[in-house]
Amino acid sequence: MKAASLVLFAAASLSAASYDIADILTASTAADTRAKDWKPGDGLALEVSGMDWTADGKLALTIRKGEVWLLDGVLTPKPDKVTYQLFASGLHEPLGLLRDGKDLLVTQRTETTRLRDTNGDGVADEYLTAGAGWNVSGAYHGYAYGPKRDGQGQLWITLNLDMGDHSDNKAPWRGWGGILDKDGKFVPMVAGMRSPCGLGTNLAGDMFCVDQQGTWIPTTPIYHLRKGAFFLNPEGIASENRPGSPLKLSAKIPEKRPYPEAVKALPEMRPPAVWMPYNKVGRSGTDLVTCDAGGKFGPFDGQMFVAEFTDAKISRVFMEKVDGEYQGACFPFVGGFASGIVRLNFAPDGSLMVGMTSRGWSSLGTKAYGLQRLRFNGNAPFAIKEMKAKPDGFELTFTKPVDVARAGDLASYRMTNYTLFYSSAYGSDEIQTAPNPITGVQVAADGLSVRLKVDGLRELYIHELHADGLRSAAGESLDHADAYYTLNRRPKN
Amino acid sequence: MIFRTAILLAGAALGAEPLVTGFERFHAATPTVEGGRLLYNELGCVNCHGGVTGLPAMRGPALATVNQRVRSEWLRKFIADPASVHPGTVMPQVLAKADAQTLLAIEHYLASLKPKTASKAPAKIMHVNGARGGELFNTLGCVACHAPGKGFVPPDGLPKDAEFTHRSVAFGDLKAKYSLDSLATFIVDPLKVRTDGRMPKTTMVRQDAVDIAGYLLEFQGSDGRTDVPVVSVAADKNLAIAGRKAVIAGQCAACHDLPKDAAAKPVALKKNEGGCLDADHTKGPRYALSDAQRASLKLFLAKKDEAASPKLAADLTLHALNCVACHERDGLGGPDAARKAYFQGDHNLGDTGRYPPPLTGVGGKLRPEWLANVLTERPAAKGADLFTTHYSGEPYRIRPYLKTKMPYYGPAVADLAKLLGVADARAPLKFEGGDDTAGRKLLGTQGGAGCITCHRWGDRPSLGVQGPDISNIAARLQEGWLREYLIHPAGYRPGTLMPSFWPGGKSFNPTILGGDTDKQIAAIYKFAESANGEPEGFPQNRNGEFEIVPKDRPVVQRAFLDGVGVRAVLVGFPTGVNLAYDGDKGGPGLAWKGRFFDAYLTWFSRFPTFEKPIGEQVVAWPKPAGRFLGYRLDAKGNPTFLNEQGGVRVEETYEGIENGLRRTVTWAPTPDFAPTIHHPAGMAMDVKHHPEPGRRVFTYLWK
Repeated sequence: MKAASLVLFAAASLSAASYDIADILTASTAADTRAKDWKPGDGLALEVSGMDWTADGKLALTIRKGEVWLLDGVLTPKPDKVTYQLFASGLHEPLGLLRDGKDLLVTQRTETTRLRDTNGDGVADEYLTAGAGWNVSGAYHGYAYGPKRDGQGQLWITLNLDMGDHSDNKAPWRGWGGILDKDGKFVPMVAGMRSPCGLGTNLAGDMFCVDQQGTWIPTTPIYHLRKGAFFLNPEGIASENRPGSPLKLSAKIPEKRPYPEAVKALPEMRPPAVWMPYNKVGRSGTDLVTCDAGGKFGPFDGQMFVAEFTDAKISRVFMEKVDGEYQGACFPFVGGFASGIVRLNFAPDGSLMVGMTSRGWSSLGTKAYGLQRLRFNGNAPFAIKEMKAKPDGFELTFTKPVDVARAGDLASYRMTNYTLFYSSAYGSDEIQTAPNPITGVQVAADGLSVRLKVDGLRELYIHELHADGLRSAAGESLDHADAYYTLNRRPKN
Repeated sequence: MIFRTAILLAGAALGAEPLVTGFERFHAATPTVEGGRLLYNELGCVNCHGGVTGLPAMRGPALATVNQRVRSEWLRKFIADPASVHPGTVMPQVLAKADAQTLLAIEHYLASLKPKTASKAPAKIMHVNGARGGELFNTLGCVACHAPGKGFVPPDGLPKDAEFTHRSVAFGDLKAKYSLDSLATFIVDPLKVRTDGRMPKTTMVRQDAVDIAGYLLEFQGSDGRTDVPVVSVAADKNLAIAGRKAVIAGQCAACHDLPKDAAAKPVALKKNEGGCLDADHTKGPRYALSDAQRASLKLFLAKKDEAASPKLAADLTLHALNCVACHERDGLGGPDAARKAYFQGDHNLGDTGRYPPPLTGVGGKLRPEWLANVLTERPAAKGADLFTTHYSGEPYRIRPYLKTKMPYYGPAVADLAKLLGVADARAPLKFEGGDDTAGRKLLGTQGGAGCITCHRWGDRPSLGVQGPDISNIAARLQEGWLREYLIHPAGYRPGTLMPSFWPGGKSFNPTILGGDTDKQIAAIYKFAESANGEPEGFPQNRNGEFEIVPKDRPVVQRAFLDGVGVRAVLVGFPTGVNLAYDGDKGGPGLAWKGRFFDAYLTWFSRFPTFEKPIGEQVVAWPKPAGRFLGYRLDAKGNPTFLNEQGGVRVEETYEGIENGLRRTVTWAPTPDFAPTIHHPAGMAMDVKHHPEPGRRVFTYLWK
């Protein structure tokens, strides 16, 4: 288990001063699972696809091969004595894991399964069907994700669209998300997703999901999941006519137009709470977790961290409610991980476990798979902590007091806004870009926030801020000077 | 690009002269006729002045596509003063007057050469991983000639600067020269541009080349679509005509392939000094020759019409192509101490697992047609479809464990195999007859030499360490060499792990073919030649790759399975019988004997689809109609499937027995319920008499 070395191009996004990456186990090379002579028997191919913590503090994880492993000792300062125990095997590409009392719930391609160790020998002996009711055609891309539990205790599952041979997106619930009822039956709740790979709640217990750019999805979105919502991709919409469907579109799909026009033309369409602009904040979002670490992960409690596959990095998201709907900003956070990130999970000690596998797709990083741990080292970063919408602009809050002179200088800020094109094409360029002149700035007495007066605000557009001129009172530059606010609604007061 | 060995270049006069690695490494210390011969060829002197070097022609890069390949600014600077842009280049400064107008004219002339049928533009680069490219660049063999790149630390640590014994082929400012796309296109097949094979072609897929280019260009991010393309000028007719005149005056066609109307004239030599040899001459091309280069050239000029012996021509060709960067020959060459660190492979095979084989006597070792294939084009892909994924799909290799890949040099070196054959000729030996049945035994583990313990056989992995493939020794090796090698392997390669089974010519096995060494070796050769089966001792089932073989416990694996559906739960029992259960409707689906399951698609492929049982005697049950609730495993690993039929819970346990399955069905008995129990067609069934209420036991046996 060699340490992650050689991260050549990540320096720009690596908050190395505040966060440290440590290897638990990574592949020996980037080729590894891609190489012709690789086989599963070569050590433990930790292609992490789901993570949670057992009642006795072990890290339970699923790997894509279809196994569940229990890892003990991952939270020691130097994780060189980690033990690995095989808990379950023979599953079909499980992509999510959740502890339920003493049991583990895993979602395989075809069902959610309750794994129970009834004789206490540390190995599952019961594999009970705990959730089913969606079609599986045999298409390679027919993934199922979850479960994740919301604040009301409901278990959520999301279902990928089929792609390739055997695809059948007209069959039940592909591209949909839903909950499991008490008999384990899938109850559809939301539609219009493509690769809804990552589920997670915020501290209020509301359920969110990160999808990925692709057909109909112009860039990675974060959806707030709630009954009756349609998001973006209509390829699986045929299931709206099935019994149990919570929605029925009242208008034709408003394709080939700027997103703000599309969303106005289709009442059931709900805008993502946050758009993550392509390349600027990663390319393919895969998971999200909310930080509740009591300061142990730095000054970002209550915020979301979003995993990204292609660039092997993590972004940060701040959300607020405006008129009862979530919206907010995303910020670059930390990059330079060993492989494409698929799963994130906060450890009891406030560090962040990072599960990776890039088999089948391309990612940055030099390894094919692995598990790393991201720890806050106590050196608080100088960062834009929050970006809040105001009727006439934005309020920024910071993790440290700012240099008042620079913060009060209009020239320290630059803002533009743009939107995306809604069509069946794969991804979208930014369109209709326009400047947002900053017309006023007011620095709070404690130096921890500024109010920006901004012209040209447009609802449903992404507002991109660059605050390169800012310094902390101690003279530090921002860890990332860019922020991206999805202004679905402009607050009235 | 700042490379480590740039430090070596700084300061000293060393480094200003054109770099011919083979000369600098083996001939620079003392001026010799041989060294002069090498330079006279590699600096292109022979292309104007004639003579007989015996070496494959050095040609400049193809120019018809140069405008699409390299950036215009760079091209003009390079033509004006090649060495200032590309240190160590063998391209001399040819323009007497490198004014902007002349350079522009030449650029337009070159643009006018564009082939009429423009090649199809490659697909846009979606993804680039520079870090991965760095690993490839530093391990594939690029650093045998070029300087290792920064940011990469070989497993044994970074070498010291002093351990680099010769200069590396420099890149100059690659960012100024190439786009990501054009550099990747060059890397994936350099022979299209460098037809003379001086930059050979390493087999790779385009994504590999893109990643390497991303590394070399220090490409930021992962989205190749942000690449800044090379924009070529549209040729202006009048400028092109002026450019052609400048090209003729510069004698460019002597080294570059150009249309006839730009041909260069031969330049007869009147004496063996002056001219190009002088540092400050003004007429003709200017080379910044070192004293050592000049002295060697002078020695050779006196003998430039004398043919080289085959041995000398062969050796110098290996120096010209820099084969000796990786391979030793007659105790010379091989990677220097610094570069050794970058040669990686399978440590189980020791040094032979990481360094390419020696070339000592290679012309007497390999069959000429095989050697020609190795040099000019790879043998046909064999087994390449085994694990073709996004990133692999490699052609067949004898030594896949070497991370360094043997590149090929293209048709320009077609004569080298023949030349080596003459230079290294050994006394001919032809095996007479040969008993291939005995050969099969000798190669195997059942009383033979156990060759397959360490050697792969075609696409069959060996039983232990994965040494070179020996299935094709008859096509590859000369008989005389094989005999000599088998008797004394270390004589060819000191330190090899290969033991001798015929030490001093005496066989290890006196019973096969009467212990006759010659007959035994001939038998091995004959068996390989016959391609009739494989040596004794490979396990009957292909236990390797992704096949699941139940050993001491049943193995459960879910998959998409033809005949059962997407929710198939497969169970392989150690008795060699297998079951696929319907994890949807709750009932048995298929059973079969023999091999259980190959999990390649399920465990590895991005594109899994329906699998099939890989054993034999498949039997099927009628489709069940209940509901599947899961399964549990008992202490022995036998599964009990949990189902519901008409509201009643029905459980059934399966055990693998010899040639069959035992099925025990249980339910809570009630007067008005009897479970539906189907049986497979084609198996003999034994029902236990006097069944207990709520319990049935069936034994199924294959007929």
